[in-house]
Formats: sequence, structure tokens, C-alpha cells
Amino acid sequence: MSMLEVKDLSVSYGDLHILRDVSFSVEPGQWLMIIGPNGAGKTTILNSISRGVPYTGTIVYQGRDIRRWKPRELALNIGLLSQNNSMGYAFTVEEIVRLGRYAHSASVLSGDKDGREEAIDRAIALTGLEGLRNQSSLTLSGGELQRTFLAQLFAQDPRLLMLDEPTNHLDLVYQKQVFNLIREWLTENGRAVVSVVHDLSLARAYGTHALLLSKGRTVAEGPVSEVTAPKLLNEVYSMDVYSWMREMYSQWTDEDSST
Amino acid sequence: MAQIPHKRKEGLYVLEYLAFLAVTPAVFFLCVCVGSVKVPLGDTVRLILDAIRGSDISGIKFASIIVSVRIPRVLSAALVGASLSLCGAGMQGLLKNPLADGSTLGVSSAASLGAVIAIAFGITVPFLPFAGTMIMAILFAFLGLLIILSLAYKLDSSLSTNTIILIGVIFSMFVSSITSLVITFASDKIKHITFWTMGSLQGNNYTHVLILCGALVIFGGVILLHARELNAFAVGEDNARNIGVNVRRVRLTILICVSALIGVCVSIGGTIAFVGLVTPHMTRIIVGPNHKKLLPVSVFAGAIFLMLSDLAARILLNPLELPIGVVTSMIGSVVFIYIFITGRRKGK
Amino acid sequence: MNAKKIIALIMALAMLTFVFCGCAKKDNAPVSSSDLAEQTPPAEEQTPDEGEPADTSVSVIDMLGREVTLDEPASRIVALTAADCEIIYALGAGDLLVGRGAYCDYPPEVLELPSVESGYDTNIEQIIDLEPQVLFMSTMAQSEEQSKQLEDAGVHVVMNDAQNIEGVYSSIGMIGQLLGKQAEADALIADMKAKFDDLKNKADGEGKTVYFEVSPLQYGLWTAGTDTFMNEIADMLGLVNIFADVTGWGEVSEEQVIDRNPDYIVTISMYFGEGPTPIEEIMSRPGWENVTAVKNGAILNLQNDELSRPSPRLAEGAQMLYDFINEAK
Repeated sequence: MSMLEVKDLSVSYGDLHILRDVSFSVEPGQWLMIIGPNGAGKTTILNSISRGVPYTGTIVYQGRDIRRWKPRELALNIGLLSQNNSMGYAFTVEEIVRLGRYAHSASVLSGDKDGREEAIDRAIALTGLEGLRNQSSLTLSGGELQRTFLAQLFAQDPRLLMLDEPTNHLDLVYQKQVFNLIREWLTENGRAVVSVVHDLSLARAYGTHALLLSKGRTVAEGPVSEVTAPKLLNEVYSMDVYSWMREMYSQWTDEDSST
Repeated sequence: MAQIPHKRKEGLYVLEYLAFLAVTPAVFFLCVCVGSVKVPLGDTVRLILDAIRGSDISGIKFASIIVSVRIPRVLSAALVGASLSLCGAGMQGLLKNPLADGSTLGVSSAASLGAVIAIAFGITVPFLPFAGTMIMAILFAFLGLLIILSLAYKLDSSLSTNTIILIGVIFSMFVSSITSLVITFASDKIKHITFWTMGSLQGNNYTHVLILCGALVIFGGVILLHARELNAFAVGEDNARNIGVNVRRVRLTILICVSALIGVCVSIGGTIAFVGLVTPHMTRIIVGPNHKKLLPVSVFAGAIFLMLSDLAARILLNPLELPIGVVTSMIGSVVFIYIFITGRRKGK
Repeated sequence: MNAKKIIALIMALAMLTFVFCGCAKKDNAPVSSSDLAEQTPPAEEQTPDEGEPADTSVSVIDMLGREVTLDEPASRIVALTAADCEIIYALGAGDLLVGRGAYCDYPPEVLELPSVESGYDTNIEQIIDLEPQVLFMSTMAQSEEQSKQLEDAGVHVVMNDAQNIEGVYSSIGMIGQLLGKQAEADALIADMKAKFDDLKNKADGEGKTVYFEVSPLQYGLWTAGTDTFMNEIADMLGLVNIFADVTGWGEVSEEQVIDRNPDYIVTISMYFGEGPTPIEEIMSRPGWENVTAVKNGAILNLQNDELSRPSPRLAEGAQMLYDFINEAK
């Protein structure tokens, strides 16, 4: 039994088909990279699994249809870092991270029975937010906010992480740090990651598996090296992906040699 | 930024609670002592003490003014203020929109419409004098909320601030016009349009106080227990879903509680604008957006705000009464601007 | 786009409803239009001096000081205010009415006439459609333009808005003259004067106090202060209005009523056959048990605008108040 099994997933708004019959599965220990050009429907897959959009088809987690999971139980198992987290109110970083523990404690009145404070402290430390702990989220930079919600996700501590462009607003230092962090997190038993990334080199470097989408349909699915083969990518992106990357890389080396 | 690495407890500090618990009765006491008829302070205190002790006060001069008129009125002001303020805070969190409130979304107007229809068409519940208007007010408040939200979802699924306020204002005008229509057709029975547009706390007795109190304890209690869920909604509805909040159920629960509270308040006190908008906003500037603090403090702040507004309504033009809605709007907007400016200056 | 269209439509609707509801609200405020003292010029002591029998033309000066001349007494009229309708019927000229304002309700026959919107919603088209020669309206809500529109359509507009009993006499005289019912008008005025004089002579309120209640407690207490018919008639009967310090109608506080402790209470709330009657409701108010009027059960309920409308029935209202006080003694 797979950890997550998606079968014939379709999503449409009126006549507009976002996803058509997408199927894939995720096993423990896997890091599935969902890749593809803009508008391929990558984010919609994550939103369907988190029950944020209506879909047809079946999504089964741990042998049970996700529609039959209670929201709180599901949140203990699947967590989503979504891409746009615009803030309206001046919650502090800590308050946002604390919300990640929602699924762990039954009611507003129950105390810290489950190591809530430690989990929050650890999540804040992991994402390097100690100095911003009591700062209003309205004054954070895009990257800081991104890390805040990542910390929330770590505090939530699910077994399947879903990340939509997790390093979108992050500089290189944090980009590397976050990806390494997640790779390390993944080493523990029974965990898996599904993430949407644009950067194909990141996908190749960190992913174990990949799902290549184009216009809402599956183009390829399997081990990351197979899916990111030049032929497939060139077709989907309608350009020579590999030589473009090589060109970019060569400029770096050129500059290096000139100095 | 200098950081003091302290661990704050999420709820209110005991001291803060005590402060509010002290200020609220002080304001209550002030409002009972001051009024359109001057009653010597000593008499007032003695009357209250006697009444609490249960001794016979029927012969004393100001007994009926203090015990039968002023105290129930101040109590209803406190309870209506607390309820409306809590509703405002709840909706502002739920919709992630600081401008949401019973009056801006047209919920109060809808409740008025329900009450006016009940009166115009003689809808009553046998043996329960207020029940007919109250049930209709609650029902219409809830229907109003459903209509506004489904319209807003239809037009803009992200429920952006502007869409929902625009729809709320339009809906509010639409409902008010129907109310006027009903009043025009049933003009014999309902002449009291200022009551439905500006509100009045006159003539509230202990029965009203009990009803308000019951509604606040039950529905307000439920809202207070949803502080964490409201935090999640205030961060974002998607985020709430991601962390495991049962989004549909919580939204429905809050909407029902808000409708019920607003319905009860409107059928007893008429439409009193601005309380639900201003007090939570002021409170948020003082204690921050965390609903674990915001909700309870809003309850107290709303009670204090409306007690003081009602005091102004009672004494400013003595012996005339000002419509309470006029006072809340005036005080509310001035205080609002003041706090807004000073809040800005601090730079948070 | 679809959504945009919907928004535009809703906006348009909202504008319309806003205008509509704004008007309707004002019109329904508990302040009766005829009692807003400040808004009207002092009632003119205008008694018609013309009336030569050879010439059938009639001419009056209305309460805005405008001269209105008709070739012959009017035979098709519309009256917008309830008081004017009552005067016309009292003059025996009800058959001349071809339309009435929406709030005219006395005598009951008047309800059979076609009704037109009045006050702030006055509908010029409806009125012109009835082809009256004369339109009686109050000075409150109408603009110059509106009356000009009517006059262009051949309708003579007569502004009539009495503020006190003298003013009622003037308006009866004026209406009588325009309708060729001068004798009836003189008789009606004489009758009213006789009734009032009679009451004035026999009445001795002994300076007892009275409280007029216009709106019940549930919706905020409204009372009638000075410059109202109720106050004028209370004076006439030797009573003291406890809210003589209020001008016109106003919302007063419950505490003040209890503190001022009236000997009599007059309420004009209507009763609709369910729940406690207005009198029972006042008797049951907590905190009012020690008010003299409540203790003695000295509460009068006048349900038919006897004391709030500038009509001939003011005399009846005064009589009812007199009888009530005598009984209560």
C-alpha cells in the first residue's frame, strides 16, 4: 500500500480543465518533485490533496480516502506550505508558528500536554527565526514570512510534507538550508515530501521521484533522473533545456576564470 | 530589533484580567450614579445595597428610578455592547477583514427587517412576549449573512476585503429599503423608525437583561471557545484548512452565533451601529490580533463603550434623549481616528 | 464580464433604493410633519375679505403668503394631509375630493378615494393624473419646483399647515372659501370656538400635571412639549405639561417621567388587539408604580389622532381630555 495514492485526479472550473486524469503515488522516503511549465496544474494537485479545491477522482492516504479523514486527523498527517500567505493582521511570528500545533491539542482550554512549547521552539530555531519571534508578521520580508510558515509546518509535524515553491522568496543561503533541512527531515521513517518547484536543477538535486505535467496532463512519472531526461523536458518546455542550463553555468565559470 | 526572549502566555495575564474586571464595574457604577435625574450618591449606594440585601425599598424616593429603570438599562447597555463587540471581533477574524461588522455587512439591517416584519404581520409566539420579533430577527440576520457570503463567494472566491464590504454595504441599503417599504405599508403599527435605524435602550427591564445575558453566555461562550480557530481564519482561510481546522463547521458555527447575538441585540436595542466595528479595532491595537486576548477584552471594552455612550445619550440633552446610535457613531469615529493616528505614530 | 455587469446592476439598484429609503425614513419619523414648529412661517391671521356675490371668483392667501385665485369655487380637489381631508369632510364637501394623501384616514369614507404618495414622496404624476383644480398640501416637504410643475399642469396649489388652534380656524376659513362653503366654515369655526370656550370656562385643572406619550417605552419615549396641540389644549384646561421645557416632539428619558411624577398620562399609542393595551402596558412598567397617574389609574388612551392633528376634531379631543380629568378626580 502506498502512502499516498492519487488516481484519475481531475479539476476544472466551468469549461476550463486545470487537471485531467492525473495519477501518481508516493511511498515513504520519497521526495516527489512536481515540475512543468506555468499553468500545468502543479499547485492545483497540492490544493486538491489538502482539500482546498473540489476535484473528481480519488485521493487515498494510508488506505483511506482523504475525504473521509477528519480535518484535524488529516492535518496530523499531511501539511501544506502554500505559496501566497499574505497577512492581514499583525500576528507575531510565534503566534503563526503556534497555530501549527492546532491539530495536536483538542481544545482552546487544554494545556501543554504534548510538548507544544518544545515543538514551537524547535521549529523557530530550525528556520532561524529566533530573533524575530515576537515581531509582527506585517513587518517581515517575503523570505521571513515564508520561513515563518515553514516553521508553522514543522510545528505541525505531519508525515507528508507538501511544499509549493518552498524557497520562492529565499536567498541562496536559506534556499540551500531549507532543502537540506527537508532532506534530513525525510530520513526518519514513514515520511515523504511532495513539492512543486520551478528550478529544475533543484528538482534533480533533491528529488527522488518526479512528476512532469503539461497542460493539466501527466507527461511522465517516475525516478527523477528518468523524468528529467532531456528529450521529455525539451518537448514540454519547447526549448533546449539542457543547453540553456549549460550556457548559464558556463558564464559562471567564465567569470571565475577571468578574476 | 532588541528581543527580550520571554515566553508570553497566550491568554490574558491575570493582572490584565483584574484590570478589566475592575474598570468594568467602576464604569457600571458611574453610569448608575449619573443620569438625567440627579440622585444623591449616598442614596444610590444605600439603595443598591438594600436591593442586594433584599430589604424592602418600595417606599424610598428614588428607588424606582435607580432599581427599576437605571440599573436594568445600564446592564442592558453593557450586555448589548459586549455582544455586538464580540460579534464584530468574531466576524473580523473569520473573514480576515477589519471592516467586517454587523452594521457594515448588513446583518443588523437584516435583523431589523426580520423584527419589523414580525411586528407588521403580527408574528408572535404564544406566551412568549418577545419571541416572535426575536426569532425573526435572528433568522433574518442569519439569512442575511448567508446571502452576503454566498454573493461574495460568487463574485470573488478569495473573499477580498473590498468585495465583501461592497456587497455588505449594498445589501445593507437594499435591506433598509425593504424595511422602509414594510414600515410604509404598515405605518400604523410601526411608527418607530428611529428605533430601527438608531436604536434605543430605553425601557429595558430585567427580563431583557436576562435574555441578553443568556444569549451572551451561550453564543458568546461558543465564540470565545473558537479563539484558536479564529486566529487561523485571521491568518488566512487556506492556512486554517492546512493546519486542520474544520473550516466549514467553524464558519457555520461562528455565523450562527453571530446572527443569534445580533438578532437578540437588535430586537431589544434596535440597530446600534459602530460598536462592533470600533471596539474590536481599538482592542486589537491595544492587545494585538490574537483572539485569545482580543475576544475577552473586546467583551469588556464593548460593555464599557456602550455603557458610556448610553450615559452620554441620557444626560447630554437632558431631559431629551439622544438616539444611542448617534452617540456611538460620534464617539466611535473620534476615538477610532485618535487611536488610529497614535497607533500609527508608534510605528508598532 | 459577467461579474462586472452584476456589480453595475447592484450598484444601480442600490442607488435607487438608497434614494428611496432615505425619503421613506424621514417621512416615517415619529416627528409628525405638522408639528415641526420651526419649519413653518407663523400662521397668518388671514381671513378672506373678498367674496362679492356677483363675481364667482374666489381668492385666498395661503400659509406661504401666496395668493391663489379661482374663477369659481373648486369642484375637483385633492388633499394630501389628513387634517385637510378632515376639514373638507367636516364642511360637507367630501364629495369634491377626487384623491387623498396616503396617510389620510378620517373619516373612514376617505379611504375609498384614490390615494397618492404624500410628504417627501409626493408623486406629482399621480396628482396630475387625477386632474384636480386645487391641491391642498402641507408646507413641509414640497419644493418650489414641485409646486411649479403642478401649477404648469393647471393645478392650483394651496399650502396649508396650521401650528395652533388659531391656525386651524384660518385653514378652515381658507378651505371653506375655496370650496364655496364659507357659511359652513364659519359655522364650524364658531362651533369649535364655542366648544373650546365652554371647556375653558368650566375646566379647572388645578395646576395638575399631565404627561403626553407619543411613542411607547419599547421604542423610546417620545412626548409632545410646547408648540404642540396637546400642550395648547392642556393649557386651556388648566393642566401643566410636565415636558413644557421640550419644544415640539422629542425623545425623553424614562427617569424624568418618573421623577416629574405626572398626575395624568395621555398616550396616543394604537392598540392592535393583541398583547396588553397601551394603558395596561403603562400600568405594568417596572418603576412606574409610584407615579401618581399610574397609582390612580389616571391614563387616557386617544387612538385616533384627536390631539395631534390640526383638524376640527381637536375640540372633541379636548372634550375627551376634559371628561377624563373630571372622571379621574
